Amino acid sequence: MSRMRLLLVDDEERFLATTRILLEKRGVETATATNGSDALKVLEERPVDVVILDVKMPGMDGVEVLRRIKQKYPLVEVVMLTGHASVESAVEGLKLGAFDYVMKPIDIPDLLAKAEDALSKKQTMEDKIRRAKIEKIISHPMAVFGKDAEEEE
Amino acid sequence: MGSEGFRRTRRMILGRVLLAPFVVVLLVCGTLVYHFAANLHYQLGAKLVRIVDGHRRIIEQFLEERTADLQFIAASSRFEDLTREGQLNRILGHLQQGSQAFLDLGVFDDKGNHVAYAGPYSDLVGRNYSQTKWFLEIREKPVYISDVFLGFRKIPHFVIVVRQESRDRTWFLRATIDSLFFNDLVGSIRVGKTGEAYLINPDGVFETPRRSGGDLMEVDPDHSLYRSDEREILSFSAKDKAGSRYLYATGRLRQTGWILVVRHETGEAYAPLVRAVGTAVALIVVGGGIFVFIGFVLASGLANRLRIADLEKREMGTQLIMAGKLAEVGEMSSGVAHEINNPLQVMKSEYTLIREILKDAETGRNALTPEDLRQVLDSVDQINVQIDRCKQITQGLLKFARKSEPSIQPIGLPSFIHEVVGMVEHRALLDNIRIVEKSEQGMEPIESDPAQLQQVFLNLLNNAIHALRNRDNAEIRITAEKEEDQLAISIGDNGCGIPPENLEKIFMPFFTTKPVGQGTGLGLSTCYGIVQRLGGKMSVSSELNVGSVFTVYLPLKVEAERKANPL
Repeated sequence: MSRMRLLLVDDEERFLATTRILLEKRGVETATATNGSDALKVLEERPVDVVILDVKMPGMDGVEVLRRIKQKYPLVEVVMLTGHASVESAVEGLKLGAFDYVMKPIDIPDLLAKAEDALSKKQTMEDKIRRAKIEKIISHPMAVFGKDAEEEE
Repeated sequence: MGSEGFRRTRRMILGRVLLAPFVVVLLVCGTLVYHFAANLHYQLGAKLVRIVDGHRRIIEQFLEERTADLQFIAASSRFEDLTREGQLNRILGHLQQGSQAFLDLGVFDDKGNHVAYAGPYSDLVGRNYSQTKWFLEIREKPVYISDVFLGFRKIPHFVIVVRQESRDRTWFLRATIDSLFFNDLVGSIRVGKTGEAYLINPDGVFETPRRSGGDLMEVDPDHSLYRSDEREILSFSAKDKAGSRYLYATGRLRQTGWILVVRHETGEAYAPLVRAVGTAVALIVVGGGIFVFIGFVLASGLANRLRIADLEKREMGTQLIMAGKLAEVGEMSSGVAHEINNPLQVMKSEYTLIREILKDAETGRNALTPEDLRQVLDSVDQINVQIDRCKQITQGLLKFARKSEPSIQPIGLPSFIHEVVGMVEHRALLDNIRIVEKSEQGMEPIESDPAQLQQVFLNLLNNAIHALRNRDNAEIRITAEKEEDQLAISIGDNGCGIPPENLEKIFMPFFTTKPVGQGTGLGLSTCYGIVQRLGGKMSVSSELNVGSVFTVYLPLKVEAERKANPL
């Protein structure tokens, strides 16, 4: 399994710092952002597999950030991190395509496990897409060009 | 509302409900009695006048007829014929056939000598009457009618004398008339039990006996009271010598000047009036008593109900505050969970970090470097910071949820507001809302209930935050300033504002613009209740899409009564 690239978004800077240390120790390439727009910026700059996203943040809130991520990077998996027990925002997040949600406070190993699940789902999806593309090429070699043309749009 | 208030309310109800009808009833009764009395008075007078009128006419006619009889005889006979033996007896016989009232008949010459007589006392013939009263009087006028007297006959009678002047002589024809006729006539007049009639002459001597006392020829002690007119029948009331008040009607007889008196004792005459008034008074007293009693019972009931309603209102107010508080707690709990879970999450991370460092050291995989130690120390400190954060939140929550026992105490204003603001600051920050506190410097502390005020301001701040959600340049501006004997604390926002149609309902319980399940509509009504209980006022001004300002006016000191019983 390749090294996971993770983006942690939360308005608690101390949480970001400490968790980052812990994740880096476990070999997770971790980027952090304290708000939604920073997070989107990070996504633009570097490849990310999984985003751990706090729901409640000043400025753009988590659900909005999720919406934009899924719009721009549909393959990036997002785990919602919610500070309160209200399921509504979590449900909303799931509807918008989040992989799962976890409730604060969560143990860092559990958080990591959740992130790995998300990663494996992402990889599965990527595999599927790759295989589908290959099959397409095998069955209709010419389609590759059509697809490419589509992608160039 | 204490028992004093209860009594005051009852008195007010009684007064308003009973007084007006009572006055009306009295006025109606008074008017009726007055008119009844006036009418009765008129009727009674008219009745007596009618009796006098009728009977006077009969008596006058009687006298006139008897006089005419005599005048006819005198005119149609010559003196010589009448004095002839047996002639007068014959004429008397004729007269008595017409009227039984004629007792005897006598003829007198101009010297007063009784020259002829017909009747039971023949020995009267030959006497001289020149010095008698009637003889002296008849020379002055053509007809003379005497008063009634008993004479030797012991029956009441009077005489009518007519003067006849022929060519050669003047002579007189005299008849004795039994007055029984008008004795009966007058005596038979009865009005009620005490009503009676009698005749007196101008000197007050009875011409007919009076039923209630007064014999013939006696002088009526009260005759000076009787007013009389030449022809007019008079009606009046007067008190007789015995002290009884009578209603009188008097009429003067044309021929003799006698006065026909009809009188009725006032007491009896007015008895129907007295009875009516008595009945009316009794009815008013009894009915009024019943009404007052019923009114008293009703007023008591009503006042009691008002008192209960008042108590219920207070109770309800308390319940509203509690309900509002509970709703607020519910609304807050999710926020609180978030607030607490954040520090907990930080602690989790720190814990994990520390544990890993220590675990590595224990297993000997990595020796503890000074860097590791510094890291552990930093993490432990961080955990302490987060614990303090949690503590603050739980304390704020406790303060809020604590059952509001009345505790009036001095509150330092700027710091108190700052404390409340601190409870929502983080939430406001999450929504990009700036909170600006502007208080006058050197404000003296006010006396009020901090727990309840905290609820009020938290609520207002929460509303402001709600109104500012998703708005640019959102700001909450809190000002506190002293205005005379009160303190005005305004919480203004530049949020969505309140439509005018909602503005008037905004303090009503259960009025909410939030979707079902999200707002109870109790927040502002609860605030309003609390502020009112603390002796203050609350006002709101708002402009759509410009913002709203809620202002709480608080007295510098809560009144003693409220202090003792704030809810």
